[in-house]
Formats: sequence, C-alpha cells, structure tokens
Amino acid sequence: MFRNQYDTDITTWSPQGRLHQVEYAMEAVKQGSAVVGVRSDTHVVLATLKRSTSELASTQKKLFSIDDHLGIAIAGLTADARVLGRHMRTECMNYKYIYETAMPVGRLALNVADKCQVSTQRASKRPFGVGLLIAGYDELGPHLYQSCPSGNYYEFYSMAIGARSQSAKTYLERHFEEFASLELQDLILQAIRALRETVSSSKDAELTSKNCAIAYVGKGDTFTIVEDEEIQPYLDTLENSDGKQEEEEEETEDAAEQTEDKPTDAPMED
Amino acid sequence: MFGGQDSKQHTVQPYVTGTSVIGLKCADGVVLGADTLVSYGSLAKNRKTSRLMTVSNHCSLGFSGEYSDFQEIKSTLEELMISEYCMADNIPMQPRAIHQYLARVMYEARNKQDPLYNQLVIGGVLPATGEGYLGLVDLLGTNYESEMIATGYGTYIALPLLRKAYRPDITVAEGRKVIEDCLRVLYYRDARSIDTVQISTVTKEGAETTEPFKLETSWDFKKFKAGSRLIDESTW
Amino acid sequence: MTSIGTGYDLSSSTFSPEGRVFQTEYAMKSVENSGTAVGARCSDGVVIAVEKVYHSRMMMKGSLRRVHFVEKHIGVGIAGLLPDGRQMVSKCREEATQYREVYGEPVPGRVLVDRLARFTHLYTLYWHVRSFGCSALVAAYDAEGPQLYMVEPSGMLMRYNACATGKAKQQAKTELEKLKLGELTCREAVTELAKTIVNVHDSTKDKLYELEMLWVCEESGRTAQFVPQELIDEARKAAEDEKDREDDDDDMDDA
Repeated sequence: MFRNQYDTDITTWSPQGRLHQVEYAMEAVKQGSAVVGVRSDTHVVLATLKRSTSELASTQKKLFSIDDHLGIAIAGLTADARVLGRHMRTECMNYKYIYETAMPVGRLALNVADKCQVSTQRASKRPFGVGLLIAGYDELGPHLYQSCPSGNYYEFYSMAIGARSQSAKTYLERHFEEFASLELQDLILQAIRALRETVSSSKDAELTSKNCAIAYVGKGDTFTIVEDEEIQPYLDTLENSDGKQEEEEEETEDAAEQTEDKPTDAPMED
Repeated sequence: MFGGQDSKQHTVQPYVTGTSVIGLKCADGVVLGADTLVSYGSLAKNRKTSRLMTVSNHCSLGFSGEYSDFQEIKSTLEELMISEYCMADNIPMQPRAIHQYLARVMYEARNKQDPLYNQLVIGGVLPATGEGYLGLVDLLGTNYESEMIATGYGTYIALPLLRKAYRPDITVAEGRKVIEDCLRVLYYRDARSIDTVQISTVTKEGAETTEPFKLETSWDFKKFKAGSRLIDESTW
Repeated sequence: MTSIGTGYDLSSSTFSPEGRVFQTEYAMKSVENSGTAVGARCSDGVVIAVEKVYHSRMMMKGSLRRVHFVEKHIGVGIAGLLPDGRQMVSKCREEATQYREVYGEPVPGRVLVDRLARFTHLYTLYWHVRSFGCSALVAAYDAEGPQLYMVEPSGMLMRYNACATGKAKQQAKTELEKLKLGELTCREAVTELAKTIVNVHDSTKDKLYELEMLWVCEESGRTAQFVPQELIDEARKAAEDEKDREDDDDDMDDA
C-alpha cells in the first residue's frame, strides 16, 4: 500500500515544501460542527451548531466567554480549545492588570496565533486541532478574527468554519456587504440563517433551541451567550419571516412595489 | 539586627535627587513643569538635567526623587513605546494605560522591598476627545488622578496655588502661565530648586517639552531685602 | 533530486550520500510556493514590497500582514509561511530589546540580521525541530547607511542592492536587474517595485491580492514605516494600466 512517509512527523517537510501534519490538523477543524461569525458596524454575532453524542448526553459547548469584550466560538477538538481559551483568558487578565484597559482584540488574536505556531515546529508537540472564531469589541470597533491550527489568523467581515461550512460561506459571500448597517437583532437572524445553510443539506436537519446557540458583543453590549429557551424566539422569527418570504415570492407579479420583508417581531433583549 | 549576615538592605534613601514636579489639568490638555536641577544632598550637582520627558504624542512624564531610578524607568518606558510602534495597529496607548503600567512597575519594585525612589507625574490627553489627563504614582505604587498635582516641596508651596488657579475650563495657554508662576514661587522658597525650568504641554496636537529656560525673578520685595524677622509684627 | 524517497530526506539531522540536507531544501520550497517579495536599496533608503494573496473576498484588508517592524529604523518583509515569519519577527524584537538593554542604543541592522540568521540556522540542525518555511527581507537605516538583507530558511544571510524571493523570484530578479538602483530614490522605487510585483503576479491562479510595502528612508525620517496607501494604490494602478496596454499590443501583434 502506498504510504506517504512525509506525513507522520510535525518536523518533516514534504519535497513539495508542505507540512502534512499541519494540514491534517486543519482537517480536524472541518470535523467539528459548524460555527458562523458575522459583523456589522457596531456588533459581532457568532452562531453555532451544537452536537451531542447521544440522546442522554448534553450537547458539546461551542461558545466560550473570554473577557467582557470578547469571546470565541470553536470548531474541532474541544479539549484543545479549552487550553487556548484558558490561555486567552489569562492574557486578557494580565493585560487588564497591567494597563487597566481591555486587551485589543487584534493583539489577542495575534497572541493566540503565535502560540499555535509554536506547536507546529517541534517534535515534542502536535498542532492544536481547533479553529477559532474570535469575536470582540474594542476602541477600534467590532472585530471578527479566525485563527487556525497552522498559526495563521485573519480578520473577516463574515466567516464560517467547521463541518459543511462551505454552504454557510456561500450564503455569507452573497450577503456580507449588506450586514454593515444592520441592527443587532437583524444581524443575529442573518447569522442563524447562514448557520442553517449547513444543516439544510443533511438529514438531521433542523435548528432547534437544543442544538443552536449564539453569542453577540458590540457597542454597549458585553459578550453575551444566548442558548436554550432564550434562542427559541429567534428561531420562531426566522420561521415566520421565511413563511412570509415564500408567500411574497408567489405574489411578486401582482405586487410589484411590495417593500422588502423585514422581521418586525424580532425579540428584543438587553 | 539590621544588616546582619542573613539580611540584605536595599536602597533606604535617594542620593541624587530632583525636587518638585507640578502639573495642571486643563480643558484642552495638560501642563507639566519642573526645574532642571538634580542635587546630591544640598549640593547642586547638575543644573541642566531634564526632569520631563515626552513619552508619546499624547503623553508626557515628570519625576522627582532619585535620578538613577528615573533613568531606569525612562528606558523601560522607551522600550514600551518602541514595542507599541512595532505593533503598528492604530491603537495609541492611552495616558491612563501608561499611568497604570508605571503604577504596576513601582508597586512591584516596592513589594520586593526595593522601591524605585521616585514620584512620577503623568500628563496626557485622550486621543479621541482631547480631554486632559493627569495622574501620579509614587515609590509605594500609590496612584491617583487629579486636576492638579505637585510633588515634594511643591505639595506645600504649589498645590494651594494650583487649587486657587484651577477652573474646569482653564486653557493650556492659561495653565502654562500658572505653572510658570508656581515654579517661580518654588524657586523663591525651595532651597533645592533653581531658576532654570522646563514646561511640557500636551494637547490634541501633540506633546511638547520646551528647552530649559530661565525664569524672570525679582528679589526686591521688602521682606526679601530686610529679612522677615526685622519687620515681623507678630508678638512672639 | 534522486534521493527523494530513499529515507535520506526525512530529518534535518541527516545528510544524503551526495552531501545535501534535503529537509532544509524542502523548507525553501515552501517559500517558493508563496507570494513574491522584492526589496531594493536606493540612494536614500530601502523599500520592500510583498505580494499578498487573498483567498476570500470576506477577508479584511490588512489581514495576513507580511510587513513588520522590529525597531524604529528596522522593518521586515516576509515571504513564505507567515506564522513562521512572525516567529522570526518576534525573535528580532527580542534581540533588539536585548541589545538596547546592554548597549543603550538601537541595534545596528548588521548585528540584528546576524543574530536572526544564527537563530534561523539553529532550526536546521536538530531532528526535533523543523526549519523555518520563510525568508525574511530586512530593511535598516543606521550609521552605516541604508541596508537590505535577506535571511533564508537555511540560515543563509546576504546583503543586497536588490533581491527577490517567492513564487516568481526568477522573473522578478530579471526585472530588478534592469533598475539603476544607485540613482533611484525610494519614491521612484515604490513605482518600480509595484510594477515588478504586478508584472510577475499570476492573475489566473491568484485573483485577489494586495501589495504591501514598507520603507526606511529620508522621506520617512529614517524610520521604518508603511509606504502611504495612496502611493501604493497609485503605483499599482499605473503598473496595471501599463500591463494591460502591453497585453493589448501583444494581441494586436498576434493578429
């Protein structure tokens, strides 16, 4: 059987100049359930799909609060994510202790990425098998970062990672430019819509208050996780607005100047 | 016993020292002032030593106390500012952050029973609003913000004058005059001061520290000439 | 590379029978897979330009930064694996700080790159680490005047008048050789380097890309700074227009 001899060791380069172990770690991110991040001019929203191993088990946590102004959504190995999460919390605390100021989101993303890089270069380590979406708000405004096992990190307007995230990405690519001016409530709905794209193609296929959780942070809002029964109203709103949309599409011919459908009954939360 | 075989003694007094620094918060920035003398006890050791430094575009710093300790603090701060420069991420370090950073440095040293023998006055503006910021840290790590700050002998001589002159709407231009007057009075009253001073102003436009200049002084007040005792009208 | 697959190319602590260390060569391959980076030393300073390839429209400008600062007067451009590059940059900053602590003045470019090269070389010596997958172009301006260096994954360090690395380094080198560097000012070099990157850029493979540039020159007060964005945009537009015109001419010749 063919065996790639360059892919078992983190310190081995392939003749093509690739690092297979790092690439495999990137695959671990794709095994995790999907998470979506979207950004407006004032807020960032993360939407996540939670899995459970059995009917009797609780779902796996996907959202972690790091500091008042910052949190993460994870895809991949949860245990690895907890290590990174703890590191991030410590870094935020240290920064705040020294400067009495919240840590800028970009600097934390850089810090985490540098930490990830270190474990791609030593035989005694393996790369972290987890991708993060980092959502935060600082003096420069809202930020959405993605960090990878490879030690790369990027800032995005919108992004999705994890299993079947491609369909969410396709949705986001079509719509992300419209998000800039959205109110928080509408932004949340957009995030859930994008997330729904990742389940609609599979059989187990529905977002419920059990398997969906979101978080937001932004101007005037500290990092807040919304899950369980609290998320139900959003799902309902989404369902209603979809119903309306379908009706509208049927009526488009005879109602040309129909205004664009907007969910008016979006739940308000403070 | 102190200084026994197992015990160790760190700095218990400063040697080469600067006297008062004063600062006033204004509506559109902040003004700091200090003379340029460092003394070795009562000896005027060096009369052209800058006791004010420009930390960043938005922040200045003045010190009183041990000069060598201040040099150490200064290089720490310069290092911090270089690493900020290298980040190049458009997040200017706020004066408050610099103040707090120094407070941690001072408190850490003090907790090692080896304090940096200084009082530091931090003046700056908030880059976003242009509002002034004025804070102090001392050798114990004590830190606070205030509208007017004076260290050393200035606490007795300058602070009352600053309090009297302060208005929330006082401008930097007016504040500069007040600071200059205070430095003059300090020169009259404080034997460890001289008449060569520097003034640092921080506004939205930037931080600027003047070259050392000489204060205009007048010594022909009646009491200065005669000596106060000769015309003392009190009964004791 | 006849020794591929014979087992002599799996560890940096193994020589092949013909006396090569393949692992280091492979690491250099990864630089050649990445966007092109060029640098030029001019009469009044140094300019570095890097081609930054994007894979998503949703990524924000300024992500994947390849231009970094180490000291007020030293800048670094990275070609190859960016995370590795950042590690090099961190090391440079550490060395710069250490030098300042000891000698009380900013580190000279020459000293800094020497230490960086030594650090990079260390990672080619042991089985338990891998070589860096990136090259660093270092621009410095100090008492010795403007300097341009390149440190490669093998730990090799050279000083250059102009250099290129990355995907299209051969083509870029040819273009750089045409420049009269002694007469060029940095401002002019911005245009020339932009042209080089635009010309070697393969728009069929990598659609989205950004030009990132730094300079250390008289105009920037001998400090390392980003080249102002307007200047880059202008230079890029001029270069692209020229390229389009040439392409049109070629088409006409063909007809």
